Amino acid sequence: MGRPYLGEFEELVLLTVAVLEGGAYGVAIASELKKRTDRIISLSGVHIALYRLEEKGFVKSVLGGATNERGGRRKRLFNITALGKRTLDEMRDIRNELWTSIPKLSFS
Amino acid sequence: MKKQNPSIPQPPCWADKLLSAVLPYYLFEELQGDMHEQFEIQVEEMGKTKARLLYGWEALKFCRPYFLKRRLSARADDLNNIYSLINPIMLSNYLKIAFRNLMRAKSYMFINISGLAVSLAACTLIILWIQDELQYDRFYSKTDRLYQVYNKDIFSGTPQTWDTTPRPLGPALKQDYAEIEETSRFRSTGLTLNVGDTKMNANGAFVDPSFLNLFDFSLISGNAQSVLAGNNGIVITEALAEKLFGTTLAVGKVVQINNKESFSVTGVLENLPRNSKFNYISYLLPYNYFVNLGWGSDAWESNNDYTYVLLKAHADETAVNQKIKSVTANHLQGIIEDVKNRQIYLHPASKWYLYSKQENGQLVEGRIVTVRLFGLIALFILLIAAVNFINLSTARSEKRAKEVGVRKVAGAQKLSLVLQFIGESVLLTFFAGIVAMLIVLLSLPMFNQLTGKTLSMNFTSLNFWLSALSVLLFTGLLAGAYPAFFLANFQPSKVLKGAVRSQRAAFTPRKILVVVQFTFAIVLIVSTLIISRQIDYAQNRDKGFNQNNLLFTDLPGDLASHFNALHQELMESGAVVSMSKSLGPISNINLRQWGVTWPGSTQSDKDIEFDRFGTDASFLKTTGTTLLAGREIDVRKYPTDSTAVMLNETAVKTMRLKNPVGTTIKFGNAEWHIVGVVKDFIYASPFDRINPALIEGPGGPISLGWISIRLNTTRPMADNLAILERVFTKYNPAYLFEYLFADESYKAKFADEQRTGTLTGLFTGLTIFIACLGLFGLAAYTAQQRTKEIGIRKVLGAPVLSVVQLLTKDFIRLLLIAFIIGAPIGWYIMEQWLQDYNYRIIIGIGIFIITLVSAILIVLISVSFQAIKAALINPVKSLKSE
Repeated sequence: MGRPYLGEFEELVLLTVAVLEGGAYGVAIASELKKRTDRIISLSGVHIALYRLEEKGFVKSVLGGATNERGGRRKRLFNITALGKRTLDEMRDIRNELWTSIPKLSFS
Repeated sequence: MKKQNPSIPQPPCWADKLLSAVLPYYLFEELQGDMHEQFEIQVEEMGKTKARLLYGWEALKFCRPYFLKRRLSARADDLNNIYSLINPIMLSNYLKIAFRNLMRAKSYMFINISGLAVSLAACTLIILWIQDELQYDRFYSKTDRLYQVYNKDIFSGTPQTWDTTPRPLGPALKQDYAEIEETSRFRSTGLTLNVGDTKMNANGAFVDPSFLNLFDFSLISGNAQSVLAGNNGIVITEALAEKLFGTTLAVGKVVQINNKESFSVTGVLENLPRNSKFNYISYLLPYNYFVNLGWGSDAWESNNDYTYVLLKAHADETAVNQKIKSVTANHLQGIIEDVKNRQIYLHPASKWYLYSKQENGQLVEGRIVTVRLFGLIALFILLIAAVNFINLSTARSEKRAKEVGVRKVAGAQKLSLVLQFIGESVLLTFFAGIVAMLIVLLSLPMFNQLTGKTLSMNFTSLNFWLSALSVLLFTGLLAGAYPAFFLANFQPSKVLKGAVRSQRAAFTPRKILVVVQFTFAIVLIVSTLIISRQIDYAQNRDKGFNQNNLLFTDLPGDLASHFNALHQELMESGAVVSMSKSLGPISNINLRQWGVTWPGSTQSDKDIEFDRFGTDASFLKTTGTTLLAGREIDVRKYPTDSTAVMLNETAVKTMRLKNPVGTTIKFGNAEWHIVGVVKDFIYASPFDRINPALIEGPGGPISLGWISIRLNTTRPMADNLAILERVFTKYNPAYLFEYLFADESYKAKFADEQRTGTLTGLFTGLTIFIACLGLFGLAAYTAQQRTKEIGIRKVLGAPVLSVVQLLTKDFIRLLLIAFIIGAPIGWYIMEQWLQDYNYRIIIGIGIFIITLVSAILIVLISVSFQAIKAALINPVKSLKSE
């Protein structure tokens, strides 16, 4: 297994980065996740997940330009990398495979 | 800062400050930006107050290790600040290199760790001992207000001070002086206690009811205020309660004293702490009972009790001393001739144990000198181990030189290198500390036996760990600082080129350190030798009496009235060769007498102290003393001998009597005629000069309450003792037969000196061991350095002996320098020590010769092993390498 470990929350964040397509930064991801999952999402948690994903090579980031919003502070924009996409694909495949292998009986 | 529009809601200021304090600087901007953006959204969604609250909460959540760690290492990456010294990556590298270096030179590591461990263990033992000494009599909750009353006076020009006081003094002080809160008199005693058939002799004391208020020994049961208030209550210790009743629940039970009075137990004390001056006591009785017995006297001139005083809080010692100084003098006016120099003063509890040596009528530093001496020895031992470390580290510096060069080239600063090397030595010290702890744990029981203490390591106390930590840090710094700077100073350009022969410069301080080390060792060797010589000298001193098979016992209860029958029965039993009544054991001081007059005595002669002994007959045969003139006292043959007296030689000399026999002398309101002179015998300290002594007949006011018995040596000792016990119990069933052997009580006089001797010997041994370890390591290093040279010398025909000589010569020279420095220091210290003894050796040249010879031997043994090994290496091997 060459691929680094991907936690559940990290996976959600990674998916969100993919969903937001270039517009992904801390607040956007957090509010997207809040909308979709019903969880309490903390900004610090999202950020740590993002930095970890970056260290693992699943996302890459650039500092955006300064705008008049948020007191002129720049924001870091995240983009999913090829490795990130492939990993997501792999994980979905594994999941699908597992799902289809479940005998129907167990749902009765 | 940007200008902010006050109408726009702002997040809490403290939260922003917090963020800037915990976040890595390179993430700060984007994270704070996100936070503010979210805040703006939340203000719209749920209002300003809640948004500010949530902002604060979110900021708090940013305080997590993830960010803190990155903040730290981000700052550490920047070489321009202090954080770079603790860069985690570099730290792990330092640790790795340290371990690799240690593992590469295992013998070096062994020498360093074992030397440090042994010295740390020795230090710990000494520190524990010192701590215990410093606690002695200083742990009472009112220690700072407790005092004992001392007297002082000048007798024929000699100032004297003593601790026994008149009986009425305590109550008088309490009544007349407002600063004095409480006083207690104290009179120790040994009594026989009975409970049913259980009989037991035990030491205790008569004290005023306030005693337990002054000294807050904890009571298991009973109330400290009231336990001694009545006239028939006894307070006993846990241990005594166990022995008498088999339980500590003893309150209300009855104890009989001397088979007469019954006392009911009013309180049970926890066993008295060993480091209290009262540790020998196992019961307390009301002082009033003692008064009612009619023992002792109320006169101001009889000094027999101790008086303890508790001052009120904030009372000033000097002021009180000034006020009370003439209390006894005022009462003695007209009773004794000269009261103008008689004074009393307070001696604080914190000085009782350590500052109570009498010198010129003053209480001066006593035991504290020994405590300081051992503190110094502890420091020396630590220093010697540190010197080892310094020597070996600098000697091995070449091995690390390349490392230093590479680190410096890669940008390491001097400070970080210094810290690295100091860190290494602290690390090594910690290993040594762990080993030392084990050594201490294993040796503590033995050390306790040696010192007569019950020391232990208190692992649960924070102080213990803090002091252990600080000792280790101190040692690590002591040992590591110099080598660290030495190493960190290497010039990368020189070191990396391979020209690290700064040998000469490095060797001089090393030589000095070796000299220092050996100076300590020589001082200690000289001290040990002199102490043991002095003890031997006093032990071999002519005692003037025969201490073997001589025992003493007192005559309690009815024994005195049955003495003749007892005497006859014992003599007939064959167990006893001879026995006589006496005032007390002749191996101890019993009674002292002033005011003796004789024909030709002057006024100042009245201040001479005479020690009193007594006998009825057969004194010479019983004690084994020698008669020099006249005859001995024998009341059976000469009834007038009840007022006869014998003198010892010193007394004759002191009294300047030409023909002592037949002279009449006066003391204690009676006239005594001298019938004989006996040779001096030692009853006080064998280290002291002999005082004048009187051996009086049985007719004096104080009855002869002891007997001395010489046992029959032709029969087994156990049989003799069994017969004695049977006969004594027959005549005196209420008391236990207890006795004292002359040789044992004589031996006890040496206990202190012997202890000092053993301890000094022990620490000398350790010092030598540690110094030898260092020397061994250094010799190994030198031998290794000169491998090539030795190879070439051998090829050119040098014999093994000359090679060995080559390698040992240097060390012997250093030793000689150390001897020249150390011997006078040792001589000086020991001369000071010996000045305390009247009967003492003269320090001769012999001791120094022995010291020198043994030191040379020690050096040769530790160095020559390496030297011979180096000299025997086949030159083919040593020259082949490279």
